[in-house]
Amino acid sequence: MSGAGAAVLEVRDLNVWFTLPGGGELHAVQGVSFDLGAGERFGLVGESGCGKTTSILAMMGLLPPTASVAGEVRLAGQDILAGGEDSVRPHRWTDMAMVFQGAMNALNPVRPVAAQIAEPILLHGGGSAAAARQRAGELLELVGIPAASGARYPHEFSGGMRQRAAIAMALACEPKVLLADEPTTALDVMVQAQIMDLLVRLCDELGLALVLVTHDLPVVAQVCQRAAVMYAGEIVETGSTDALYHQTRHPYTRMLFAATPDLYSDSEVRSIPGAPPRLDRPVPGCPFQPRCDSALDRCADERPLLRDVRAGSGPEAPAETGFADAAHLAACHLNDAVVTQ
Amino acid sequence: MSAIATEAGLAGTVAPGRAGLIRQAIAERKAAALGLGLIVFFVVLAVAAPLIAPYSTTARSCAVFAPPSGAHWLGCDDGGIDVLSEIISGGRISLVIGFAATLIAMLIGGGVGIASGYFGRWLDITLMRITDYLLVIPDLAFAMVIADVWGPSLSHVIGVIAILEWATTARIIRAQVMSVKERVYIKRARSIGASHARIIGRHILPQVGPLLMANTVLTVAVAIYLETALAFLGLEDPTTTTWGTILEHAFDRSAVSAGAWWAIVPDGIVITLLIMGCFLLGQAIEDALNPRLRVAHLSSRRWALRPLAGRGPDAI
Amino acid sequence: MRGADYVIRRIGFALLTVFIAITINFFLFRVLPGNVVSDLARVPHATPQLRHALTKEFGLDRPKWEQYLIYLRELVHGNLGISFATQQPVSRLLLNDLKNTIPMVTIGTLGAIVVGIATGVLSAWRRGSASDHVSTNLAIAFYAFPTQFLGLMLLILLGGLLPTSGMENPYAGVFGTQSTFARLQDIGLHLILPALTLLLTLYGEFTLIMRSSMLETLGEDYVLTARAKGLTDRRIIARHVVRNALLPIVTLVALSVGWIVGGAILVEYIFSWPGIGQALWQAINQRDYPMLQGGFLLLAVSVVVLNLIADLAYFRLDPRIKQ
Repeated sequence: MSGAGAAVLEVRDLNVWFTLPGGGELHAVQGVSFDLGAGERFGLVGESGCGKTTSILAMMGLLPPTASVAGEVRLAGQDILAGGEDSVRPHRWTDMAMVFQGAMNALNPVRPVAAQIAEPILLHGGGSAAAARQRAGELLELVGIPAASGARYPHEFSGGMRQRAAIAMALACEPKVLLADEPTTALDVMVQAQIMDLLVRLCDELGLALVLVTHDLPVVAQVCQRAAVMYAGEIVETGSTDALYHQTRHPYTRMLFAATPDLYSDSEVRSIPGAPPRLDRPVPGCPFQPRCDSALDRCADERPLLRDVRAGSGPEAPAETGFADAAHLAACHLNDAVVTQ
Repeated sequence: MSAIATEAGLAGTVAPGRAGLIRQAIAERKAAALGLGLIVFFVVLAVAAPLIAPYSTTARSCAVFAPPSGAHWLGCDDGGIDVLSEIISGGRISLVIGFAATLIAMLIGGGVGIASGYFGRWLDITLMRITDYLLVIPDLAFAMVIADVWGPSLSHVIGVIAILEWATTARIIRAQVMSVKERVYIKRARSIGASHARIIGRHILPQVGPLLMANTVLTVAVAIYLETALAFLGLEDPTTTTWGTILEHAFDRSAVSAGAWWAIVPDGIVITLLIMGCFLLGQAIEDALNPRLRVAHLSSRRWALRPLAGRGPDAI
Repeated sequence: MRGADYVIRRIGFALLTVFIAITINFFLFRVLPGNVVSDLARVPHATPQLRHALTKEFGLDRPKWEQYLIYLRELVHGNLGISFATQQPVSRLLLNDLKNTIPMVTIGTLGAIVVGIATGVLSAWRRGSASDHVSTNLAIAFYAFPTQFLGLMLLILLGGLLPTSGMENPYAGVFGTQSTFARLQDIGLHLILPALTLLLTLYGEFTLIMRSSMLETLGEDYVLTARAKGLTDRRIIARHVVRNALLPIVTLVALSVGWIVGGAILVEYIFSWPGIGQALWQAINQRDYPMLQGGFLLLAVSVVVLNLIADLAYFRLDPRIKQ
């Protein structure tokens, strides 16, 4: 089911740098690439600060002036980043929409919710204000909020309702891709589950592709068909969630899973010692090496490249830029032995 | 969304101990250093006044409204008194009034704020009703009335300013105390039976200290302003020389029509510089207490696009 | 109506404050050391009959608490006593002064608000640029300049070009009646310097607060959301930023009313503008205690009323305030 037909979104070699106040640069995103098929659900996982949020913000051109971006973001084959802010703007909300972390303040507190949902409808589609309001009401119903509540203000909604409203707002212009940045982090567990169910249902019903950014592995395993694990600004492993879980090919992924408490197993929860590397200077070898429990000697000097780790692919086969949905890629020297078999 | 801030490595703000906050604020911000410098300059000037002032401020030493010259750098005022000496000596009294009034206002305001915020209930309600009234009445009008009713001596001026200014501080300190009071370690201290005095002295005062400091500095600016205003309106002891009375003399004796700008401008400038110094320092401390890590999401500048040079699967 | 109980509570609170102001006003002038005011009947040059009438009217031969009640009663009837200096009813004089003060102060204050908001917004938008630094430092400087110094500087710089004293040319109507338009024009010219002084003294604070508020608002998540929705910068500022950033200005205006009054007093003194500030000062000079008492009360009540208006306006503008 995943990846049926052409990719709806192609990200190629996305890089983001931030100039630092004291001079110097932070290389926050280092060559992120992935494809997204129509209706596919893709997870982007990693610790805080690994660059996952910056990546999706970069995809929509929502970075501050201290940022510089390189790479391509292709919607229906066309690179929308090519002309900077002006070339990205027309695609916002109509092709790609975003749901932000903890919609506490993502909604303007002094305007009613329905008005904010109607705003992009009017902006991008024209039509009458009444029609837009009508549509806003329909969208609210779609996410399980009575249309009449739209006249209320955001502070009158509970956290879960606000997030639903944010989702309704994101769907206002019928985008093909929805980027969700930690949509449930600030909510309590019951509500988290409801929101994730809602997202899945909507994606299925509307054929919406989803990029789910989160640090919560179990959610990704449940909701997404494919995922990428990010560390220190780059993707260290990517593939179907099944393969990531059962055939983990990167120590970081493995340790991430081990660090997640599991109600049903007796295994210990082991946190990962140490901290991610600083991103303001280049790292010669593998960025995970200092914390890795299986590091080889060459890991300190030689940076491992992201490549296909399925049995049978050649040792030097670089990662194909046309990611087939069955591809399983990892950036780790430990896989050299596996691949040559 | 603070993800951007984290990922942009803006986490350079380590929160120091509260006492070091002020030091850090001054070290980091040019404005604070400038403000402190100005204040220190004027304090030193005031202390050294008797040694520095070239002429007497009571005896004539030149012609009425004599323009600036080699002998009198800032010329003379309407009474033939050297303006430079007036400013140097006047600063003394202005500063004394300003600092004294502020000290009293801070003691009262801080005390009321802490008591009100900490003990709450009827004490809080009563005290807050009083501050409500004081906050509402127009400062200068009230000061005028009291200065007139009590008489224009310097100590009365100090008293009036103190009465007016403690209320604002009390409000601010009270709010801070109320939020600090709810913190876990305070509740813990109370539960193990620490006395009120101990909790206030040990836990609340250090938290409230920097805010009180910032407020004190800002209040000095207000006190100086009020002093000069009262003096200008003729409500201060006319026999003394303060920065305020210099402007009053200038206006009353038509310095403007005489074209004697030197009797007006230097005095105005020093008052402005002192007020500015207090403002800059006070603001800087307040800013340090509320660091704003926010990145503006909207700006006149835009993010930049870099060409992908030499990038490919095997490039680093 | 949303929060009808909030509105009622605020009005009630304002009324209470007014009442406290009235009471303190009474005691301020009767009970304080110096024993200055016990005698409203001590009107200079008054006939014994007038003195007797006033004594009866204000119960000056009665105990203090009775005087207080009489004071309240007379207050309700709008009777604030007789001015010592002019022997006219205080309330009539004050109303006339108020009529003169309001246009000048309104123009000065509105001007300060407009200039402050405009410069604050521009500064925030061009944060860190040279124009931001210049604008901010100018605002700080003007905020620090004492009002009387600004007035004197304007006198020096513009005194030759514009009228510097009074509200209108006292000799204008001597050679035949002046048309209303000419009279308004005359007043307008006289109004420029005092209003300008007030504007310059007040605008700095508005600039700084607006700039700060804008920067705060520009960092809010909903601004990023608006940007994500594809709105242009201009639309975002117009629809989401300015409205939200203006809210603290309303509070600031409310807090500044006391300072506006103070500035008005100084300005009226410098430019001899026949308003309440001038009246207050003259009352002090002439030991005209009924005027002083009445004027002070009027100012205090004005501040309470203006605070209340600002409070309710803020309540109306910000839906987050529920209580």
